[in-house]
Amino acid sequence: MKIKQEAIGDVYVVRLSGQLMGGPDADSVRETILSILNQGYKKIVIDLKDVSWVNSTGLGILMSAHITATQNGGIVKLMRISRRIDSIFMVTRLNTVFQVFDKEEDAIASFEGDVTGQKN
Amino acid sequence: MTLPQCDFPADRSIVFQMPSRLELLVVVDQLVQAICHDMDFDRDDTDAIANSVIEAATNAVQHAHGHDVMRPVVFRFLLGDDELQIEVTDTGPGFDLEEVSALDPTGPEGILKSRGRGIFIMKAMMDRVDFDIQMGTGTRVCMAKSRRPAEGGDGA
Repeated sequence: MKIKQEAIGDVYVVRLSGQLMGGPDADSVRETILSILNQGYKKIVIDLKDVSWVNSTGLGILMSAHITATQNGGIVKLMRISRRIDSIFMVTRLNTVFQVFDKEEDAIASFEGDVTGQKN
Repeated sequence: MTLPQCDFPADRSIVFQMPSRLELLVVVDQLVQAICHDMDFDRDDTDAIANSVIEAATNAVQHAHGHDVMRPVVFRFLLGDDELQIEVTDTGPGFDLEEVSALDPTGPEGILKSRGRGIFIMKAMMDRVDFDIQMGTGTRVCMAKSRRPAEGGDGA
């Protein structure tokens, strides 16, 4: 799995590609989220457009990212998940934990007025 | 000692073996996609089957074999007329299915856990899921999914 990062205003977008399935991926995502939080960014969007599938370990990685962000005053949202990943989200009800957006602009705009996600 | 194999007829079976390496799940996914395409499963059922086989394989690689590449995971596919049966076999120590399944991963306590969703996903996405657990010897996960009649077909 590859990770790219991009700050758009006060929102940090983390773009993942490949498959999210555990192993070293878990540490990489967690360290990325922690690094972003340590820079003072609290609004994080994980872009799953180029992730073809996620297994239960990958879901755990996303859940850990959510918990890490929440514990540090931040918030993680998701965008551009495939139909296949969406089916796993529906079954496991993670769609009730994460806000998921189809479009990047909608994901970024969703933070407006979100006190939890203020930078610094 | 190994688990006894099911009696799959050779002319309708596909057998695949891989080392316990998570990155090879990509190969498993491709194989399942090809089998489902050959059997005319629709997109949603293909995804469900692929997700379930990957969950079984993930458990075998991570929990049963501890990523030991010298311990292979074996996949057997039986391509029936209207049903795909799949076995995923490991040589791990086994586990307590009741204990593992005790916590509902969609409940208020379970949903925030980072683990414990694999078996739940398999059971939710397949028609049948059975576990043959031989403590100290290995586990065989047996799953099946039937092909749904095409919309507007004979049954409509």
